[in-house]
Amino acid sequence: MGGYIMQLQNFSVNDGEGIRTIVFMAGCPLRCAWCSNPEGQTMDNSMVHWMETEDILKELRRQAIFYRNSGGGVTFSGGEATAQPEFLREMVDALYDEGFSLAIETCGQFNFEKLEPVLRKMDLIFMDLKHIDPEQHRKFTGVDNAVILENIRRTSQLGVPFVVRIPSILGVNCDDAAMDGAFAFLRDNAPTASLEFLPYHRYGENKYKELGMDLPDEGFGTPTQEQLDAWKARAAEYGIHVVSYR
Amino acid sequence: MNMVTERIEKIRQNYVNAKPALSCERAWLWTESHKKTEGLPVCIRRARAFYDCCDQMDVHIFEGELVVGAIGEHRKCGILTPEFSWLWVDKEMDTFSSRPQDPYEMTDEQRKFMREKVFPYWKGKSLEEAFLARLPEDTKKIGVDTGVIDSDSKWRQAVGEITPDYQDVLFKKGFGGLIREAEEHIAQLDLSCAGDEEKKDFYESTIWTSKGIIRLANRYADEAERMAGEEKDPKRAEELRAIARNCRAVPENPPKSFYEAIQFVWFVQLGGILSENPLALNPGRFDQYMDPYYEADLQKGAITEDFAQELIEALWLKYSEWVWTISSNTADYFAGYNQFQNLTVGGKKRDGTDGTNPITYMALKATEEVKSHQPGLSVRVQADCPKEFLDAVTHLVSKGTGFPAIHSDSVGYQMLLNLGYEPEDARDWNNCGCVVPHFRKTGEWTSAANLNFGSALEYALNQGHSLMTGEMMGLDEKPAKDFTSYEEVKEAFYKQFDNLCRHAVISLLTAQRLHQEMVPRPFLSSCNENCMATGKDLSQGGAKYNVGPVITGIGLAVVANSLAAVRKLVFEDKVCDMETLAKALQANWEGYEDLRAKAQECPKYGNDDDYVDSIANEVANHYYHEVHQYKDVFGNPFTTAFMGISNYIPMGRVLGATPCGRKNGEPSSEGVSPYVGTDKSTPLAAMRSTAKVNQEIHSGGTLLNLRLNHDLVATKRGQANLGAMIQTLFSLGAFHVQFNCISSKVLRDAQAHPENYKDLLVRVAGYSTQFVNLSKSMQDAIIARTEHSEF
Repeated sequence: MGGYIMQLQNFSVNDGEGIRTIVFMAGCPLRCAWCSNPEGQTMDNSMVHWMETEDILKELRRQAIFYRNSGGGVTFSGGEATAQPEFLREMVDALYDEGFSLAIETCGQFNFEKLEPVLRKMDLIFMDLKHIDPEQHRKFTGVDNAVILENIRRTSQLGVPFVVRIPSILGVNCDDAAMDGAFAFLRDNAPTASLEFLPYHRYGENKYKELGMDLPDEGFGTPTQEQLDAWKARAAEYGIHVVSYR
Repeated sequence: MNMVTERIEKIRQNYVNAKPALSCERAWLWTESHKKTEGLPVCIRRARAFYDCCDQMDVHIFEGELVVGAIGEHRKCGILTPEFSWLWVDKEMDTFSSRPQDPYEMTDEQRKFMREKVFPYWKGKSLEEAFLARLPEDTKKIGVDTGVIDSDSKWRQAVGEITPDYQDVLFKKGFGGLIREAEEHIAQLDLSCAGDEEKKDFYESTIWTSKGIIRLANRYADEAERMAGEEKDPKRAEELRAIARNCRAVPENPPKSFYEAIQFVWFVQLGGILSENPLALNPGRFDQYMDPYYEADLQKGAITEDFAQELIEALWLKYSEWVWTISSNTADYFAGYNQFQNLTVGGKKRDGTDGTNPITYMALKATEEVKSHQPGLSVRVQADCPKEFLDAVTHLVSKGTGFPAIHSDSVGYQMLLNLGYEPEDARDWNNCGCVVPHFRKTGEWTSAANLNFGSALEYALNQGHSLMTGEMMGLDEKPAKDFTSYEEVKEAFYKQFDNLCRHAVISLLTAQRLHQEMVPRPFLSSCNENCMATGKDLSQGGAKYNVGPVITGIGLAVVANSLAAVRKLVFEDKVCDMETLAKALQANWEGYEDLRAKAQECPKYGNDDDYVDSIANEVANHYYHEVHQYKDVFGNPFTTAFMGISNYIPMGRVLGATPCGRKNGEPSSEGVSPYVGTDKSTPLAAMRSTAKVNQEIHSGGTLLNLRLNHDLVATKRGQANLGAMIQTLFSLGAFHVQFNCISSKVLRDAQAHPENYKDLLVRVAGYSTQFVNLSKSMQDAIIARTEHSEF
């Protein structure tokens, strides 16, 4: 078997421990207005290709020596890592049996029962919380956040190291109400989760051009270091452990 | 965390800002001495000249110095050695102050003095003249100032490339002890036995040099006492008295304290410089021989950590204030006033246990604090070295100085085993020059000749002619259009390649013989245990280990990429025929832009692509076998290396367009590094490609340069990942890696505003130097290296 891939990115160091390869898997149930990997939203565009699972495994095994020395491994991302669940499960099962350290980065919009066996094989799970308000969430991503919030709650109970990520975007979720709401939710529903802020960037813009898509709203902005520090302090007041993989 | 002391900062500022100046004193005294010793054995003449210099040259103790001993009247100073070559000096000294790479200050008076008082004596007597007179014409045609085969640092300069043995000779005996040892040997000799007379000459020569260095030290003691008497500041007066006590004690006697040991080390360096102005006079395993003195002083309460650190930093600046005086041709190959005094810390001890100690960390800290381009700081990293050590190494990398040069402990060991070293000696290796595994009981020419791999391919594809000059330089070959298979092209390449290897060997054998006859090295031989035991000079093969001269291959990536392009474009994809490709190269790709684009798209070494990496490995293996079959004057096989230095620039300058897409005169490639800008995947892929070359057989050293985005190593976490990368590279079999961690933006700004970046150190190749001291073309080459960052 196999699946649709954007790319395998070796020498990645910000999505988990050590030196990692990120498997960017195509397809996504969300349509985030600021998306930095727009080529991952569908499986049929010029920047996506089919790869056999065995070929991916071969490439990952070649990198294993770098993972071993650094405590790194493989991170599944996207697009959305869970959008091709059978493909994901096939890779995860094989790599888990070979002793690879595994992580996943997901938007949280998935069927928990189906995905639970995969999640249990992870050494680290990253899940986004893009907006605490259901209407705002729908406005910016196309769906409300009911499934996502429930999945954050349930993932927190798995006993797997868990990091909730807030993509921090001025003009979307950087007001006090949105942040406080998110912190309160995490305190009450995901007490084992750590929190990482991911400040907005516009590195994906050339991909929009290549795909002939309209650029994200010019109004989206990157918070300053001072703002980020203030939210980190605020989150700590909620008893939330803030981490950074920078 | 203390910063440098005010004293060190003052000396540092002078080092950063002063332009080096030449001193004529050593050359003049050397010449005057030789006028008085005509007819004596050459080793005695050279030893007497050394003694006369020590006896007569002015002594200079500069402001604030703790470690004393100057090679001339200037604080940042170079000297001249007309006995090796005066021709190039005569030809070039009028432009010394204005030349683009490594200029020196020299006054018209000095030039007049040299031309009237020094050069005339050496006319017809210098090593350079003898070499050029003896070298066969066909070798001379491709081996002298051509950029095809370059060995001029072995006949326009002294050899250097030696590591004084502090552990078993100098710190144990002192030069006083060496004199007694020589006298005892002489007493045992029987002049009626053939060969004993030569030994007697050798021992007498070491007595002269030992007495010379002791005399010089005592003259410094006198001067320090005189200055102490006149000094108004009581603190400085006491410092001067301490300096005087040191100079009375060492290097005549074994050091009794850390401070004496430091002063001893500098006197040995000073002696080496005066004796031959050497490249790569290596301090060696500094942490191993200095730590016992440090720990003993600490226990006695005789020293503080801060003062020891200050002394180390004072020594670092002494290493840096001496400037190696070289021809503009050599300066192209060894850019940046670099003296290649390689100092190694970390790694296993002789018994196999880990050797890191407090001095290891103080040495790393000294380089971070004074940012001097000398010593060339190397580290040996072993698989289970202390985490603190690897952290200290990656921390220093993150400072962007290009230091330290990072080496695999086990591959260095393997390289020496392959040369026939005993395991304990192999384990005790230190670096020589830039990236050569070496050992203090060795006589070796580690950077003997550079060989332009690209030229061999050029001659294969152009009927033996140079593309840029049209001159016949190689062997006859049929026109490129007649090649019918990739294998035929490859065979033609090897035919030309083997011919170049042969001429490199001829040129070095000529030089080796001349060194035996003309330039014995009594002072440095006395620092070598086996020379003293056997009564044989280094130049006669007196060391315990004599390693065959190292030939350095330049352009491995260019040749691998080019052969891959020929194979793919002509014989597999049939994009063009050989005739078209040859014409495109002759036209420097002009009018063939589409073909060039396709050539650039062909697989490139450095991306973990076996298609081309396998060619690099094959060429490197062939190189080893070809060179290894030749024996030097001592019967040892010649040695291969893929070292750096800056030789890929001049060697690229004479190389026409190459099938990989490179244009006329553009830089070639360095060491086992990928061609600049073509390792587009990740540093991990670049590392993997280079580790496919069997580095451990190239015992003359291998080099990999990588640029990393500074952000990647700015955090502790980033540095930990860098440490893991290094360990991985070494577990794959690589010997060396070094990193530049300064962004292109900063480098461009430094190019535009050099006045703001006088202390910016960058990695050139195997060594670091001040960026602003590099010529524009060197700076551009460094900026062009692919900067790896994550996305």
